[in-house]
Amino acid sequence: MRRGADALLVAALVGAVLAALLWGGSALSGSDVLRVLAGGGPPEARTIVFGLRLPRIVLALLVGASLALAGAALQALLSNPLADPFLLGISGGGAAASTLAVVLLPPLAIALVPAAALAGAALATAMVWWLARGPLGPSPTRMILAGVAVNAATSAVILAVLAMASSPRLPGALAVTMGSFASASTEAVAWLVPYILLPAALLLHHGRDLGLLATGEESAAALGVDVGVVRRRVFLAAAMLCAGAVAFAGVIGFVGLVTPHICRLVFGQQPRRVLPRAALAGAALTVLGDLVARRALAPVELPVGVVTAVLGVPFFVVLLRRSS
Amino acid sequence: MTLLRARALSGGYGRDTIVHEVDFQVSAGECVALMGPNGAGKSTLLRLLAGILPVRSGVVELDGQPLAAWRRRDVARTVGFVPQLVNLAFPVTVHELVEQGRAPHLGPWRPPTRRDHEIVDAAIARVGLAARRQASVASLSGGERQRVLLARALASEPRLLLLDEPAAALDIRHQLDLVEIVRTLAGSGVGIVLIAHDWQLALRVADRLVVIHHGRVWAAGAAGEILSARLFREVFGVEAEFLNGPDGLPVVVPRLTLGDAGLDPAAAL
Repeated sequence: MRRGADALLVAALVGAVLAALLWGGSALSGSDVLRVLAGGGPPEARTIVFGLRLPRIVLALLVGASLALAGAALQALLSNPLADPFLLGISGGGAAASTLAVVLLPPLAIALVPAAALAGAALATAMVWWLARGPLGPSPTRMILAGVAVNAATSAVILAVLAMASSPRLPGALAVTMGSFASASTEAVAWLVPYILLPAALLLHHGRDLGLLATGEESAAALGVDVGVVRRRVFLAAAMLCAGAVAFAGVIGFVGLVTPHICRLVFGQQPRRVLPRAALAGAALTVLGDLVARRALAPVELPVGVVTAVLGVPFFVVLLRRSS
Repeated sequence: MTLLRARALSGGYGRDTIVHEVDFQVSAGECVALMGPNGAGKSTLLRLLAGILPVRSGVVELDGQPLAAWRRRDVARTVGFVPQLVNLAFPVTVHELVEQGRAPHLGPWRPPTRRDHEIVDAAIARVGLAARRQASVASLSGGERQRVLLARALASEPRLLLLDEPAAALDIRHQLDLVEIVRTLAGSGVGIVLIAHDWQLALRVADRLVVIHHGRVWAAGAAGEILSARLFREVFGVEAEFLNGPDGLPVVVPRLTLGDAGLDPAAAL
């Protein structure tokens, strides 16, 4: 049954990518797209497919995979099914710095927004870590409480920035807080791919350790896990993934929270099995979310964060009801 | 052959030192019971011996090598540790939890082989939970959970087994099963250290008793060498007598002190 679920997951991913390639925003027919993919097609169609659609899809894949992977890892690390990049303030830190950068930087320096997001996420991560430190190192409970505090602070910064933003800058700042792949480009993808490789590999490498940690640190240590090292690495790797996602796509909610839950329901509880599948499922969900965001109310483009939330909230409510 | 030896071992949590200057050793095939009142430092000592709590001073040697020189995973392959309970934030099945015992042998990437599965199934059967193999651990009783944790440690195939109150929630049948499992393991050369509060169980299962009081070794030796009215008076604050049991083992009979005589141990001294 699980092998069938694996096949279904891959099929969903491929299907989402194909659908997003075929149904773009412009009046490009499906057969044109297929001809372009086969190596032919008119030049303007080639530009649309390779210059606009493909980078956007790949960016959505990378961001969705990063968020879901980070969420699955953090939930296991903190032994808390509700943990995700948002709860811990990491995404909030990145978003606060991004909106500040969008509003304050001169137009020519707008390329620095991702760098600002990374710095903001890093700062929020460091603050959570520092606030949560205790006599025995940061404990899961303290980390979640610290995350809630940092999150509140970053929300305040974002609201203040939006209130003070001049009207030409406001849409850009809003786009950060709502999440969007509209700014996708080949360059963005080229930056993101090497950046997420190391943290993603690190999380997958510690999959089994995370399974042991979910039953408690003493129990994990007794089974050979170097608890301090693994906790540091996993937290930093997850923070890096969230930061990268916020830097290039803004805040996209619920992918990091809900995808790991779906995967655990289908594939069992072991992070070793859940992590890689959460990455694939998160990628598929985000590509689909972006497709819906572009097409549902075309020509108006919905923020992708709205779509993932619309998909995620009902699921989350059902999950909460079932678990209580 | 000495498997594990601690010299002048001290440790604790935060600023508190719980265990003071403890000398301790256990040999292959030997079972040692740690006895002592609540809060004496038995669990802390066990964690220090397992290497999962940092040593403040002194040294723990496994196979003659200081623990600090061992890789964490190699310690885990050699020493099995059975905690009193584990965190169950995510629902795991009996089989999944016991399979964790194979982790030190598998490393980060290798999936469990058929042999690993056989070892896991044998460990589950050993503690009498074969029928509950796919049950969620959260649905089990306290005693059944303790047996799952014992099975997990058995699945690691350790040469030294450290058990933190393994019998606390067990019914009388499963206490006897535990005694049998421990004696069989000891017979096959595994060293065992367990914490117990039940003297009858400890006297049955252990070759040697070590009494911990205020974080120090108060007495150590075979039952015949250490059992005394003074031990129970000074360490536990109770008056006790000893009978000869039907199996030749002494039976500890604490005197019920319903009046004011026994309520203040200091006054009884």
